[in-house]
Amino acid sequence: MARAVAGDRGAFGVLVERYAAAVRRVARAVLGDPDDADDAAQDAFLSAFVKLRQYDPQRPFGPWLMRIAANAATDRRRRRAVRRAEPLDGLTAGGPQPDAETQRRDLGRRLREALAELPERRRTAVVLFDVEGYSHAEIGRILGIPEGTVRSEVFHARRALRVLLADWKEDAE
Amino acid sequence: MTPEPTPFNHRPDPVLGSALRRALSPGDQAAFVARVMAALEGARAAHWDVLASWARAGLAAAALAVILGGLFVGRAGLTPASIDDVLTLAAGPSAPVLVGASSPPDPSFVLPSAEER
Repeated sequence: MARAVAGDRGAFGVLVERYAAAVRRVARAVLGDPDDADDAAQDAFLSAFVKLRQYDPQRPFGPWLMRIAANAATDRRRRRAVRRAEPLDGLTAGGPQPDAETQRRDLGRRLREALAELPERRRTAVVLFDVEGYSHAEIGRILGIPEGTVRSEVFHARRALRVLLADWKEDAE
Repeated sequence: MTPEPTPFNHRPDPVLGSALRRALSPGDQAAFVARVMAALEGARAAHWDVLASWARAGLAAAALAVILGGLFVGRAGLTPASIDDVLTLAAGPSAPVLVGASSPPDPSFVLPSAEER
């Protein structure tokens, strides 16, 4: 970390490798479209590199980076024209696929659609909590909202998404 | 199935988390990392380009200032001789001095001086 702060690109590259997946997931939760999400994730890393000297090494790096990532994704979402670009992933790839794999892809698509229906803050909160494992307090700092609000957002998001998950399990059985 | 969440549930839901992770999982990680690092290098190059363009403009301005300063100082060295200087020198070999002066002396001073000779 110290080397990255000192401007060592190799050290920063290690940080990019370590956090890329999480940053891309959070960006995708906000933006929906994977290409837009990757653009936002790249913006976030470039911004983080510029701001590294402002980072307090006494605090965990993940929430600091996630705050930048969430802001980058939100900024991009505000800038871009509203458009629907939800990919169908492997469903359009052609050729027969095993049922389990087809169902898993279908669940993924439905989850993304359901996420897209949630308010932005709610879906970011649930992804940070249930996927990335941040605490309510950390998410509060990342999103700039009270911890109680984070709990409420995660609760409502889970309630909406779990219905989907239950339906999928019933279908699969 | 995990129990119904409440607002006070402080544990991540592994089932939902796993499904969301799969749904949001990005594509080629290595390609993305390479893309970010390339963008970082590009930003760095652009940064130096900006600095270089500023440096070029600065050097051009400095060169212009030196040229203008040199011209000013040079012209200051060509200050027209005062009439007193000319008349003082005219006490000796007057004609070359008068011819070499950059500005003509006042005739009202020169002519009486010549008549006296």
